[in-house]
Amino acid sequence: MAEEKNTKKILSDEEIRKLVMARLSVLSKTTMISLGSDGSFTRDELIKSVESGDKIGEKLAEIQLGWLRSFKERTSV
Amino acid sequence: MKMIVTRPQHDITTKYLSVWAGEVINFAKEKGVEVFDLFKDKANKNDFVGRVKKLQPEIIFLNGHGNDDCVAGHNDEKIVEVKNNHDILRDTITYALSCNSGKILGPKVVENNTATYIGYQDEFIFVGNMNYLSRPQDDPMAKPFMEASNQVMISLLKGNEAQDASKKSKSKFEEHFVKLSSSNTDADSLQIAQCLWWDMRNQVCLGKLEAKLKV
Repeated sequence: MAEEKNTKKILSDEEIRKLVMARLSVLSKTTMISLGSDGSFTRDELIKSVESGDKIGEKLAEIQLGWLRSFKERTSV
Repeated sequence: MKMIVTRPQHDITTKYLSVWAGEVINFAKEKGVEVFDLFKDKANKNDFVGRVKKLQPEIIFLNGHGNDDCVAGHNDEKIVEVKNNHDILRDTITYALSCNSGKILGPKVVENNTATYIGYQDEFIFVGNMNYLSRPQDDPMAKPFMEASNQVMISLLKGNEAQDASKKSKSKFEEHFVKLSSSNTDADSLQIAQCLWWDMRNQVCLGKLEAKLKV
């Protein structure tokens, strides 16, 4: 919880959005991500979702932030 | 030994899951398991419930979309649902390759009995390549996800305890994401690694952890 608060302090929503979009923009055009019952999405569709801040965009941001936190945990051991 | 598999196939996600579940079916048959494959429109509530009640399978492999409190079949018909028919899974080991059902359905299935439920407490996410939509089994991007997931079933069918089957699957997810996150040869690798990590983190093994098949 404390870590979550710290992340919120360090990164604004806008910065997180930019970070996730930057990550997605380097994917191949033919790459798709299946997000369960929400469907399967191409790179460009995912970028639009993050841009508009919809449910799919929020999920991608959650994954990205979780991954970064876990990476920090793994490297600090 | 009897195994029931549900393999709906009505969109890209269910097509990938159903095709890759074929590997588990082949493996089970090689081991002499009697497999009841509810494929496409056979993966409906009526057929599923009827088969489970009649056959009383030792193991059930559910593929399809899901939610916190249910797993769906073909065309997203709910085939197992909390407060409706979740107790039909009480005498078996179930692996649900489905989103979110490890959150509410799984704990409810294993309440006050000896059932085992392996599933995911959040979205099961995978990465694929659009060029392989007609042959998902050859998609190199989807392969690490499906291999790691199938490891649950392969381990169970080899006679491992449920908790070890889940551990082996998680190790497979980890093996793949560590390899991919240290690779800089492919622009998509990091995204694949992140999603593998996500799935590993969200896989749960509930109920009787030491349950195993008599093989």
